[in-house]
Amino acid sequence: MSNDHDHSHGHGHQHNPPGPMVEEVSDFEALEIAVRELAIEKGLFTAEDHRRFTEFAEHIGPTPAARMVAKAWLDPEYKKQCLTDAIKASLAVGVDWLNPTGFGTPSDYTDLRVLEDTPTLHHVVVCTLCSCYPRPILGFQPEWYRTPNYRRRLVRWPRPVLAEFGLQLPPEVEIRVEDSNQKCRFIVMPVRPAGTEGWTEDQLTEIVTRDCLIGVALPRPGMTTNIPLPVHKPAKPGHH
Amino acid sequence: MSQHDRTHHAKIATGKGDPQCFKGTAGPAKFKVGQTVRIKDLPDVFYTRCQVYTRGAVGQVAVVTHESPAPEDEAWGHVDHSEWFYIVRFKQKDLWPEYPAAFANDTLQTEFSERWLEAV
Repeated sequence: MSNDHDHSHGHGHQHNPPGPMVEEVSDFEALEIAVRELAIEKGLFTAEDHRRFTEFAEHIGPTPAARMVAKAWLDPEYKKQCLTDAIKASLAVGVDWLNPTGFGTPSDYTDLRVLEDTPTLHHVVVCTLCSCYPRPILGFQPEWYRTPNYRRRLVRWPRPVLAEFGLQLPPEVEIRVEDSNQKCRFIVMPVRPAGTEGWTEDQLTEIVTRDCLIGVALPRPGMTTNIPLPVHKPAKPGHH
Repeated sequence: MSQHDRTHHAKIATGKGDPQCFKGTAGPAKFKVGQTVRIKDLPDVFYTRCQVYTRGAVGQVAVVTHESPAPEDEAWGHVDHSEWFYIVRFKQKDLWPEYPAAFANDTLQTEFSERWLEAV
C-alpha cells in the first residue's frame, strides 16, 4: 500500500497515520510477553531472573564454543574429549550444560556432538523441524537460522545456499548437512586455517565466529565477525 | 479431570540432563554403527520428527546416540517407554533425485528413534 496518497476519503481520519517508533511485534513475541508476565505474576520466576537469563542467552562472541574449538586445535587430548564427551569438555570453557546459567534454569537437551571437519569433509548444521541450536554454548540462533528459507533449502541445495554465504567448496570436499531435529545438538569444529601458526588460544578464539560453528563460513586470519548479510530496503514498507 | 504434570521432565532431568536421565531404560540397541537401514514410512498422527524427505530412503547408521522416549509419544504425554536413537547418514543423491552428479560425495545426517528404522 502506498503511503503518499493525500486525497481525502471524507471520513474524518487519515490513512496510515504515523506509527509509534517501535519495531513491529510479531504474534509470537506478543505471546512470549504474555506468558512471561503471567509467569512472573504467578511467582515462577522474577523479572530480575528473566533479565539475567536474557543477558546470559544474548551475550555475543567470542562464544564458549569458539574457545572450545581453539583449545581443541592446540590440545589433541582435549580435542579427543570434545569428540567423545562434549558435555564434559564444555566444562573446560565454563559451560555446565546441567546448570548453564548458573542460576538453575536448564533450558535445553544435553547431548552435544562436535562435528569435526577435515580437508575433504565440511559439516553444516540446520534444523528443518524448528531451530534446534546448542544455546548453552553458542547463545541464541541468528535470525536466518530460524527461517523456513534456510531450513528447507539447506538440506536439498546445500552448495547454492552456502554460496549465498560466500562459501564455495570444490566437489572433492564432501559437504555433510547435519539436520538436527531430535535431542542432539551440534557445533562444527573447522580445520585450523593456515596462517595461524604460533597463535595463542585467545587469538584463535577470535576467528572462530558463530558462522564457522554453524558451518556456513570457514575461519580465516583477520576475520573476527560474522558475515555481514546485505540489507535490502523493502519496496513497500509496512506501517504500524 | 486429568492432571498433566508439566514439570515431569524437569524433575527427572535435574542433575542428570535429558536424555541422560533415560539411560538404561530402552534395553539393547537393535542397530549398530555401519549397519544399512531403511526409514519406514509410518503414519504419523498429530506430531512427528521423522521428516518426510527421509521416508523410504536407505542409509547407514553413523552414531548410536542415546535412549529417550520418542517425541511422537512424548507429544501425547507418554514417557514410560524409551527407545534408542540413531544418527543415520544418507548420500544426498539417495534423498534428492536431482542432486548434481558432480557432487556425488555429499551426504546428509539426521536422527531417528528406533521405530523408524528397519534393517535392509
